[in-house]
This record gives sequence, structure tokens and C-alpha cells, in this order.
Amino acid sequence: MNKTKLLLGIAVLAIAGGLLVAADHLDAPSSGGTTADIADFFAFEPSTDSDFTTFVVDLQSSVLPELAYGTFDEDVLTEINIDTDGDLVEDFVIQAFPQGGTMYFFAGTPIQTGLNSQILVDDPLGEVTISGSTALVGEGRDGTRLFAGPRQDPFFFDFFQFNAVINPDVNSAPLGFKTSEEAEDTFDGANTMSIVVEIPNSILGPTNTTNALGVPVYKTWVTTNRKQ
Amino acid sequence: MVYNKLKLTIPVLLAVLALTGCNNDDDRMEDMAIVTCNDGVMNGDEEGVDCGGSACEPCADSTAPDFTGTFAQVDHMGRPGINTTLSVDMDGMPSVKDAHNVTIPSEMTANFQAGFQARLEQYHDVYANKLGLDPMDVNYENNILGLDAATLTTVLAADVLEVAPDAPTVYFDPGTDADNDGNILVPDGDEVALTGRRLQDDVIDVSLILFFGGMNGDRFSGQDLDEDGMADLPRLTSDGVGLTATINAGFPYLSDPE
Repeated sequence: MNKTKLLLGIAVLAIAGGLLVAADHLDAPSSGGTTADIADFFAFEPSTDSDFTTFVVDLQSSVLPELAYGTFDEDVLTEINIDTDGDLVEDFVIQAFPQGGTMYFFAGTPIQTGLNSQILVDDPLGEVTISGSTALVGEGRDGTRLFAGPRQDPFFFDFFQFNAVINPDVNSAPLGFKTSEEAEDTFDGANTMSIVVEIPNSILGPTNTTNALGVPVYKTWVTTNRKQ
Repeated sequence: MVYNKLKLTIPVLLAVLALTGCNNDDDRMEDMAIVTCNDGVMNGDEEGVDCGGSACEPCADSTAPDFTGTFAQVDHMGRPGINTTLSVDMDGMPSVKDAHNVTIPSEMTANFQAGFQARLEQYHDVYANKLGLDPMDVNYENNILGLDAATLTTVLAADVLEVAPDAPTVYFDPGTDADNDGNILVPDGDEVALTGRRLQDDVIDVSLILFFGGMNGDRFSGQDLDEDGMADLPRLTSDGVGLTATINAGFPYLSDPE
């Protein structure tokens, strides 16, 4: 074991001391467990041959009792970034911003790319009342469907066993993960604050970039951004 | 709009004031109070600065949404589990995980690929030690996509989720044998994959297979090599769990909170 590997091993030992890691839940010390913590991100075609794309952003998590959970932060702007030419710079953004019990959505060309954002007030997409435990669905521009509120967290992962697996102690999980009979989904019963946008591809526009298999794709990522 | 009303109202109020004047009658104090609606301070019976109360225009609705300002990035996510599994924070060093969250995707590969690759190799060393083997002898092997460690971590370092607008969504199905050639895990050109992420996709197992599965996807999968009923290799290619939340066919797909 060379020195670099030894150092990394020590680092893993420190990490393995009980830190929760998941899809993106609590991924880093500065954002983990805050109201701006991104828990998860999904993007899919809602049905076969649909002309829409669905984005699901989960913020916050109730998986541990000490975490921020339950209210969208009115100082946090959530932004779905879409790159259509493969340079990994956003060409289009969908924004979601909570104010006074309503989630306001905007969609258009960003005013600026990079780490700072402004709300696209001239490009409203729609709005929806933030739901309680029963889902309220809003309709936006060109048939866009909108949702914001608490939902079951669909992510699944035996994270406690994962922490045992990556623990370098030779007696920690020497057989790796558990069998399907013994494994437990840590996120079973957990809730999250979800934002769901189902948007016509015509609003997003055409894409000129492909995945590794040559299929045309949007390259997407989600960010949370705190008001300065 | 409030401002425009104010602009119309103030000249009228000033005209009234000019007619009545600041003489010594009993209305004097009340009349003088009117002009304070434009003095930039909250006085008289105003409810805010130059608004509300008996004389001034109503204050702006404090519950109206405020879309002003600049917002600075604090968290980022593309593919699931990338920053969490492949960034390493070390005691006494600036947090790599925090840095990853505030790096734009076009700069991620340059900043994080080397660390990701070291981390991937380090995971293998952990299990070399647990198996009583020399860590230098247990290394990442090219995965089911044929990617070596440098290429895999180069792909993953640019942390974006690809979604195809005109193709079915498949994150990656490690059991797909679309052309029935019996070679279920080796891509040979007919795959539909990397086209997005559905709620039910087992992204953890896919990541584990790509990290630890080797070229057939099952390199460390709890094999019982000597057939004594006990696993001789660790189970690293599946965490053993599937979807437990309820998901629905219709929008918004996610179920009511539990």
C-alpha cells in the first residue's frame, strides 16, 4: 500500500464514522442537512412516445430526525439546467421558487450561466399552490404540469451496510452487502420535499448532443441557489 | 402601479394643501401630516415608510412574491451518488465534496477525475485487505461497458444526467440482452441505456456493477467458490434492496408522504 492509498484509507475511516450518504442526500458538509440540500434528481419520459420530459427534484429528507425537512425555504432558488449542445454549460433553465405558499416556475434562457442566477421574471412557466399531504397539480405554459410539496422519498439504498462495506476495518462487512432477504432499505418510510415539472420538449427545444451510445439527449443537472 | 397611483395622488394632495395653507386653524397639523407621505420616513400614523394610515396610500402587500436578487449556488446533482461515493474529504483539508457542489460541470473533469479514480482504486484495496490479499494485486478491472478506470471516472466526473427526449428512459439495465446473444452485460451496439433516470431504477446496483463488476458485471457478487455453502468473495455488485416507496402511474408519480 503506497502512501497515497494509506492516506485515502485513513480518510475513509473518518468518513465511515456514521456519515449518511445517498443519491445526493447529505452529500457534503456545507449543504448537507440544510433546507437547500438536494436529495435526489430524476429525469424521464413520462410515457411511451410522449412529447414531454418529466423532471423530479427532491429537496431535504426526513430520513434522520435532526435534518431540515418539511418547508421549502423562501430564500432558495432551485434550478434545472439543460445543456443542448454538449459543452456542459446550461442553454436553458427551469426555475422553481417558493413564495407565500406558492411555487413559482420560470423557464427560459439563463440571464447568466455559472454559479450565480437571477430569476427569469420575463419567462414565467406557471405556478402551483404548495401541497400538503394531498397532491395539488398546477398547469403551466403549453400543457406543462407542476407540483411542489411533501412526498414519499422513492430512493432506496441499504446505506448502513454501505458504510460498513466501505469501512476499511477488516472485520467490517467482510462479505460485503447483505442478501436481498437480509438487506434493509434505509429510506423506507422517509419523506422528501418534491418539485415535479412535466414540460413539453418543444419548450426545451432541440438538442444537438448525444449520449455514449449515440442517442440524442439533454444533459441536465439540478442546483440549489441561496439568495445573497 | 402603486408608484403611479402615488405620483397622481401627491399632486392632488399638494393642491389641497395649497388651498388650505398652513394657517393656524385646527386642521393645520392634519394637513401638514399629509406631505410626510413623501419624506422617506415612517411617521404620523403611517404603517410603513410613507404608506398606510389615514393619509397615505396603502402599503404594498407584504405577502407579494419577491423575485429580485442574486442567488448563489450551494448544491449540485447530476447522476445519483457521484459526489457521495467518489469525492473524498480528508481531515485538515478543504472539503472536496463542498468544492464539487460549487463547480460548474464544464470544469468538473479537470478538477475531480483524478480524485475519483484514486477513490475507486481505494475501494478495491479495502476489500483486498478484508480478503487477506495484497492491495496491489486487487485492482479495478474494466467494466461491462469496457471502460477502464480513467475513462469511467472521466465520464462520471462531469456530473450530469442525460435524458433522451425521443427514446424510452433506461438508466442502465444490467440484465438486458436485447439481441438475445446470451451476452447480457457486454454492450454490442443495440442497447438503449443512459437515456435518463426513472423513479424505480436501481441506480445503486448499476453503480456497484460499474465499479466492482468487472467485464461481466459479477466479479464480486458473493460467489461460493468451493461450494461449501459460504460465500468466498464479497457481495459488492448489489446492495440487495429494491423500491419500497409507492409510486403511481399518473402525475406527480410520487405518493403522499408517510
